[in-house]
Amino acid sequence: MANSNLPRRIIKETQRLLSEPAPGISASPSEDNMRYFNVMILGPTQSPYEGGVFKLELFLPEEYPMAAPKVRFLTKIYHPNIDKLGRICLDILKDKWSPALQIRTVLLSIQALLSAPNPDDPLSDNIAKHWKTNEAEAVETAKEWTRLYASGA
Amino acid sequence: MDSDEDMHDANGSESLEDDFYSEDMGMESDDGDADYDFGNEETDDDAEDINLHRQQNYTILSESDIHQRQEDDISRLSAVLSISRVAACILLRYYKWSVSTVHEEWFANEEHVRQVVGLLENPIDIPNVHELTCGICFETYPRNMISAAACGHPFCGACWRGYIGTSINDGPGCLVLRCPDPSCGAAIGQDMINKLATEEDKEKYARYLLRSYIEDNRKTKWCPAPGCEFAVDFEFGSGSNDVCCKCSYSFCWHCTEETHRPVDCGTVAKWILKNSAESENMNWILANSKPCPKCKRPIEKNQGCMHMTCTPPCKFEFCWLCLGTWSEHGERTGGFYACNRYEVAKQEGLYDESERRREMAKNSLERYTHYYERWATNQSSRQKALADLHSMQTEKLEKLSEKQSQPESQLKFIIEAWSQIVECRRVLKWTYAYGYYLPEHEHAKRQFFEYLQGEAESGLERLHQCAEKELQIYLEADSPMKEFNDFRTKLAGLTSVTRNYFENLVRALETGLKDVDSSNSQAACSQSSSSKSAYGKGSKGGKNKAARSGGPSRNSDDDWSCDRCTFFNPGSASTCQMCEHHQ
Repeated sequence: MANSNLPRRIIKETQRLLSEPAPGISASPSEDNMRYFNVMILGPTQSPYEGGVFKLELFLPEEYPMAAPKVRFLTKIYHPNIDKLGRICLDILKDKWSPALQIRTVLLSIQALLSAPNPDDPLSDNIAKHWKTNEAEAVETAKEWTRLYASGA
Repeated sequence: MDSDEDMHDANGSESLEDDFYSEDMGMESDDGDADYDFGNEETDDDAEDINLHRQQNYTILSESDIHQRQEDDISRLSAVLSISRVAACILLRYYKWSVSTVHEEWFANEEHVRQVVGLLENPIDIPNVHELTCGICFETYPRNMISAAACGHPFCGACWRGYIGTSINDGPGCLVLRCPDPSCGAAIGQDMINKLATEEDKEKYARYLLRSYIEDNRKTKWCPAPGCEFAVDFEFGSGSNDVCCKCSYSFCWHCTEETHRPVDCGTVAKWILKNSAESENMNWILANSKPCPKCKRPIEKNQGCMHMTCTPPCKFEFCWLCLGTWSEHGERTGGFYACNRYEVAKQEGLYDESERRREMAKNSLERYTHYYERWATNQSSRQKALADLHSMQTEKLEKLSEKQSQPESQLKFIIEAWSQIVECRRVLKWTYAYGYYLPEHEHAKRQFFEYLQGEAESGLERLHQCAEKELQIYLEADSPMKEFNDFRTKLAGLTSVTRNYFENLVRALETGLKDVDSSNSQAACSQSSSSKSAYGKGSKGGKNKAARSGGPSRNSDDDWSCDRCTFFNPGSASTCQMCEHHQ
């Protein structure tokens, strides 16, 4: 990878992510590819994901910031807007992307999505159905998965 | 279409089961019964009637016309609302170029409109400092290299160019572009595009803007002909749906298919779907094949004995008649080449259901093929005629003018004849779709329809033949021929006769053949020949008599058939009422 001609914007964003990390979020670039980030998000308090540590990968495509970053959960998670491959249904990652958004804002939005699942705009139909018909049970499953897969191993 | 109701009322006792019989282009006056008797004095009125129909209720717009209209609308709105032209353009685009909607919304709640459209009432200036940081690339620039929309969010030139370019390349969505700041929403108008985008993107944007004026507006459409750049502005509520573009392509405003008078849009859609649909293949398979009893693949038996062997890998051997295993066939079942089991079972009625189904499918397929062939033949014949018309206009007319030493202005009748042929082929083509959907059990209508179609068709054949073959003689002549004047009279006569035949046909079909409502007309029509045999060149008198079902009093022995155009004249007329040829 030609890390040498990395746009100033990416360098600046990276520096700021490292020097002033957002609460509950860490993102650090891979050593051999400065466009690839290893991300960790702590499960927000008072959500079924509380206590969990979720790994994600984030990639800045060539067109960034004109195009949105590509983000995916690596940790298994039971969430109506995240499918089993870890893909995330979030408007700002698609048509609502704006070049004035940043890695930080994207990760904060993902964190907020964990606090407020949106089963009306689902990516995973089964989980969304579960959420709508029996939210208490679905929340239990999410907690169970958090214990099983995201307990900070 | 609202005129449907009127048609139903006007048709009175007629029960019209299918929608498509009541035309949605009902523009006939309902007062008088349309007259299929070509030879009386009402002909003139009818002709006027038809001219009225042809009054244009649409405008063809060139690109510059569209541009002009767009500019005019913007100017007018900008003056009325006292806003900038850019803002007016943004508003108009948002409200689909409807000036009245903008007025309505704006004066009802200006604040709300401003908010949804993204027009700030009080623009915010870029902070008055030396250096500013671009919100996208985070670089610092001197103030003069930073631009912002009315909201004042600062971005540098390169980032603007990238932002606008990305959006324009994503399609017409660029017309609703907002400030890159996600919390903002200030609209980005064409002024910003022109100031900040690349030349190529500016052009693309202008194209999208022009297109949206046509595509978002209910009253306008692009001409659907390939490569045509004209648009049509259509006036609703009056007259026909037929639009003839300046590119010479004619189409139906309503469904944008090629013009299809006298058939309505619904029938056309059904017919086109049918022509393309797999369903016809299915019918064929059903009618002409049986499924292999083992692997169920359809098998067509094209020859040979009843002993069938399915193709590998199945290789099942069976009897075509009873579909049983071949190994069970032998002396006991009536020998290898006749299947008693089948005969017995058939007598017991065991095979009836599927056999009948197959039989029906076969019949329906043949029926469809009959109409399709004729539809398609007229279609290709029309294409050929169109090409002939073109070559006539571009080269042959000049040649003919030389050979026959006639000024080209005197040869207009040839162009008229060819234009008539092209139009008639189109009408004739669609009458076959009409015929296909005309129910079998409506015998009287069917016969009347086939009679009119047959008359029109034979008229057209005579005209086409004359324009194609006879003209050739004069084109190849070495010197001017004195017969040319007779030819002129003949061709012009045939053109006008054929036009009348087709106008009658169109009128009859557009009114759902409403004149057929008594047993009396059925009897009269029963003499007429069907469309299939109507090409006949002889026995014209007989056929024409059948047409006169409306007025028995005119059926006198003195009536005569014109030698030239075959029009059937009353005995009182000494010249043909159709082509003015002497008896």
